[in-house]
Amino acid sequence: MDESDGGQELPESDPTTRRGFLEHAANLSMAGGLAAGYGMLGLQAAQYLYPAEAGQTITQFVCTLNQLKVGESLPYTLPSGAKIVVARQQEGETADAFIALSSVCPHLGCKVHWEAVNSRFFCPCHNGAFNAQGEPTEGPPAAANQHLTRYPLTVEGNLLMIQVPLNSVHVSGSEATA
Amino acid sequence: MSVFSKWLQERIPISGAQLQELTNEPVPNHLKRWWFALGGTPAYLFVVQIVTGILLAFYYQSSAQTAYESVRYITQEAAFGWYLRGLHKWAATLMIAAVILHQMRVYFTAAYQRPRELNWVIGMSLLMCTLLTGFTGYSLVFEQLSFWGATVAANISDAVPVVGPIAKEMLLAGDTYNDRTLSRFYILHAAVLPTTIILLVAVHIAFIRLHGVTELQFEDEADDRPKHFNFFPDHLLTEITIGLILMIVLSALATVFPATMGPKADPLTTPEVIKPEWFFYVSFRWLKLFSLTFAVLSTGFIVAAMFLWPWIDRVLRKLTGNEDISVYIGIVATFLLIGLTVWEASVAH
Repeated sequence: MDESDGGQELPESDPTTRRGFLEHAANLSMAGGLAAGYGMLGLQAAQYLYPAEAGQTITQFVCTLNQLKVGESLPYTLPSGAKIVVARQQEGETADAFIALSSVCPHLGCKVHWEAVNSRFFCPCHNGAFNAQGEPTEGPPAAANQHLTRYPLTVEGNLLMIQVPLNSVHVSGSEATA
Repeated sequence: MSVFSKWLQERIPISGAQLQELTNEPVPNHLKRWWFALGGTPAYLFVVQIVTGILLAFYYQSSAQTAYESVRYITQEAAFGWYLRGLHKWAATLMIAAVILHQMRVYFTAAYQRPRELNWVIGMSLLMCTLLTGFTGYSLVFEQLSFWGATVAANISDAVPVVGPIAKEMLLAGDTYNDRTLSRFYILHAAVLPTTIILLVAVHIAFIRLHGVTELQFEDEADDRPKHFNFFPDHLLTEITIGLILMIVLSALATVFPATMGPKADPLTTPEVIKPEWFFYVSFRWLKLFSLTFAVLSTGFIVAAMFLWPWIDRVLRKLTGNEDISVYIGIVATFLLIGLTVWEASVAH
């Protein structure tokens, strides 16, 4: 192609004339169309990347109310395989009488474990500690007054139900089916 | 001119003389001192990372079920897998160390001052990308420490105001570590971050070429000496030498201290002693000292101050009338950095 083609200077258009206005409008709508089109693609990409099932939970049966007396506890396994304890703290037919503590530290999500010697839940990540009721006693959780989360419990008729997270990591196929 | 070179000249219309002029940036004499060649060191190590990383990717499988086993295969069964993985691990370690040393050199010689402020900002972005690449790469091994490190890091981002919770969900592909998390770390580590680094390095070097290297005069240098030497071939030879020395050091490290594998990730049990990679010891200790909100906000504040230091430095110099104020602050910060790192390294909890 001849180079002089591209080298030709167009006269500066005056936006107050009809021709100039139309030129500006055409440029603007073209830029706007491009921005809208590619912007939509970007938006779709962001939606695609945003996890669809974040925060999905499932409600499961724990036991009948009379299976658990005051002061007693029951081991319970979550869908992720984590083992927690469901305990009855007082009389009553409502969910408030029961407690199910999460083993996930509210500070940064590590797993706490029960230290029988010190009668506390201890988090090895940043030295957080909790008493048997899940109240913080030491470390960053105590500084920020973060309790061990309780899994939401509900009572349906005579049945104690627990609401637990569904999403978790399954490390190997054999363990998941076992 | 031979037929071949004539053919080539027609297709690639640039002469050797033109090429030499393009690359022959005059290099100030102080670059003959090794600590001024620290910028080229991470660049060389980055190339090592790309080459060894591509080779590792031939066998690595980024799912929770297969990741650990594929790393084990690379380490124990694939021919020279242990060596390539060792090179990758140690080049990462040295790259982070070299980036930090390069940044310290730029800081203490005040090379970030006007008109090079923007290149400091790009350098800071490169530091962030390098740390993120190190973090995501370590997570790919899917051993206990890297799994819990990733969990902790994602929850740290959760504490960042406004954008934190979304950032955490985007990083983990859910609100906890799940079956779709590892492939995110992989694509960030092997595609998104390296591409970003390449683009940033290109701009970084373009800015150096546009401004020229900061001129520094040393007291022990005679005034009558020529102040510059040629990039090609003089400085290139220096860089090649540094590259060869690095290869020897990397090979030695990969052989004497090979990349090992800890116990496989167990989402149900946090190990009794948990540590991140050494370059996050500082922030890990910081998190133990303060409440999460304060730790996150103060870290964000420090990082923001580092990004804006060329301008903060100017204000401080005006306010105090002391030209070296940043040097004193830098010395304190360096000791704090080393102190917190050593503290975290020397205790179990």
